[in-house]
Amino acid sequence: MDVKRQQEITRAKPEDRPGGTPIEQAPAAELGDALIPAERYTSPEFMQLEWGQMWKKVWLLGGRSDDMPEPGNYIATEIGKESVLLVRQLDGSVRGFYNVCLHRANRLKPDGIGTVEEEMEFKCRYHHWAYSLNGGLKHIPDLDTFPQGAPPCGRIPEIKVAEWGSFVWFSLDPDAPPLTEYLGIIPEHLDPYHFERMAWTRDVTVEWDCNWKTSVDAFNETYHVQGIHPQLKWYLDDINVQYDCYDRHNRYLIPFAAVSPRVLLPSTIPPLIAGIMEAAGMDPAEYEGPITGIRRAVQEFKREHGLEQGKDYSELNDDQLTDDYHYTIFPNVSMNVHADDLMMFRQRLHPTDPNKMFYDIWMFELVPEGEEWPDRPRHQLFKHGDRTIGEVLDQDAFNLPHVQNGMQSEAFEGLWIGDQEVRIRHFHKTLSDYLYGHNGPGEGDF
Amino acid sequence: MDLGLKGKKAIVVGGARGIGYAVAELFAREGCDVAITARNEDSVKDAVANLKKYGTKIVGSASDVSDGDDFKKWMEGAVEQLDGCDILVPISSAGGGMGSLKYWQKAFDVDVMGPVRAIDAVLEGMIERGSGSIVLIATTSAGEAMGGPQAYNAMKASLVTYGKQLALANGKHGIRVNVVSPGPIEFEGGNWEMLKGAMEKFYNAMIRQQPEGRFGKPEEIARAIGFLASPAASWCNGSHLVVDGGFTQRTHF
Repeated sequence: MDVKRQQEITRAKPEDRPGGTPIEQAPAAELGDALIPAERYTSPEFMQLEWGQMWKKVWLLGGRSDDMPEPGNYIATEIGKESVLLVRQLDGSVRGFYNVCLHRANRLKPDGIGTVEEEMEFKCRYHHWAYSLNGGLKHIPDLDTFPQGAPPCGRIPEIKVAEWGSFVWFSLDPDAPPLTEYLGIIPEHLDPYHFERMAWTRDVTVEWDCNWKTSVDAFNETYHVQGIHPQLKWYLDDINVQYDCYDRHNRYLIPFAAVSPRVLLPSTIPPLIAGIMEAAGMDPAEYEGPITGIRRAVQEFKREHGLEQGKDYSELNDDQLTDDYHYTIFPNVSMNVHADDLMMFRQRLHPTDPNKMFYDIWMFELVPEGEEWPDRPRHQLFKHGDRTIGEVLDQDAFNLPHVQNGMQSEAFEGLWIGDQEVRIRHFHKTLSDYLYGHNGPGEGDF
Repeated sequence: MDLGLKGKKAIVVGGARGIGYAVAELFAREGCDVAITARNEDSVKDAVANLKKYGTKIVGSASDVSDGDDFKKWMEGAVEQLDGCDILVPISSAGGGMGSLKYWQKAFDVDVMGPVRAIDAVLEGMIERGSGSIVLIATTSAGEAMGGPQAYNAMKASLVTYGKQLALANGKHGIRVNVVSPGPIEFEGGNWEMLKGAMEKFYNAMIRQQPEGRFGKPEEIARAIGFLASPAASWCNGSHLVVDGGFTQRTHF
């Protein structure tokens, strides 16, 4: 690799935190080195195949449990051409059904969070057909004017809903396996972070001009740091990265508060790393050690002072106090997981156009014990380029339409993927498993 | 022009990288025996190995200029190994920083006391031999607004005053003391290279202020320092030379 120096990165040991996030390297997956066809990103036929064979089969992230604490609270969320309602029931459980009135197809609720009207029912605003919290048909005005009677099914088709990790998940597949089975290793890996102690800080949706997978890919590798994010070379070590591919999901572990071996060490603390020290409560001016020692010093400082700051890091290993544990929950959730915050992206397909998508930015911050929770930020929706989403994400965002345009070129057959991008290969293998079964794509398949 | 550096014994404090290394390299190339130090042992080792290719005596080891005893010992050792010191260039710096009062202590310990201690260690010997040359390194940030009000700028400014008064006091012993104030200097592993990546807008705004559209290079400062340090600059004493490619605006009447 194109490095200027060798860098030793200290790594936590599995025995340091029994019961914590597993940190052993997963066995290398046999994923080959074939091209990934560009049509996967552009073809309407492939989009249809994805919808039928994948989107309708998997578990999808719907929202945040603390947005619906009370019976009658709901989340309406769209996926492709569908919208679903995830609803807190009287008994505290969550159930869900399609967001569509059985009468003339009106959406019962617009996208977003809310609370049902009086009487604990959803009332369609078109003709006031009313539904109970679980989607059962409750009342049809002037029922006697329908000679065929009420729809015999008696309810809006139900979807599967379950909660994990302070998030609400749903599946359009009535035969979907239980959520915990689908999530596999994820709860064991991420429960130690206690996302339920973190509060919303940002809730943004941007319409992007690229396929949803173009976006997933962008967050599945660190190879692009030296290209798109040159400033991060003085923030993280993009060379000493651990990649792990599991059954459906995958991750990389990337050291933060370190200078990339791609550049020589500067003689003063880089501004972004000084920011990490300050966020931890350290004074960078007090630091006397070498720049290569900062990551460890931050870990030790947080370990020593976490509790007095109201932050319980007891289930996290030392690396987790500085590093980015980055997970992709198949198919469309990218999570930058940190001890003090969670930055996650939900990448949703466009209902009709393979060249567009919705990019949800969800950010949460650990609320110190005893401190008041901040107000939930309002959801913002805009198109790419209308507003900034922060320097680093802007750098990603402004590049992606060009990637998508290039995918259409007759000169471009497919993605030429290297080892640093193994998660992209693994993601496509998982996708293929859904689309084509375990034998993979056949003759004429994408 | 012959600088007359051949055979001189030079000490460069902070000589492992950047401007300091370029100065040490100029001295070695011109035939000086050179001693260097810096805080990072690996950097010093690498620099010593590189400087040996010029065939003069090169010695070096790590030391911390802010640790008075440690640094005094190093200076004494360097003078002994070189068998005297004709030229001293103390250039170590703690760098900039704003916000914490600690930056003042650091800048004082390294940027001020580093040169003060180094001079203290060689001055007597220079007086005895009746000759010597010292070049202090200040900064254009001492004279003009740069990066906000901070310890680095103010502490470096004190070297301009101290250098002048040292010159006034010691000229009679055949010792010359001059000050060089570099403008922004860019090199691989330097802070401007980092800022080019880490704070691109600030970097570009600074570049636009440079008449030639670039920052200086370490060797461009080293040549000015090398000249002032050398016998060729025999009539330069107590001078303050700004070397910044025309970056700063003040006219020096």
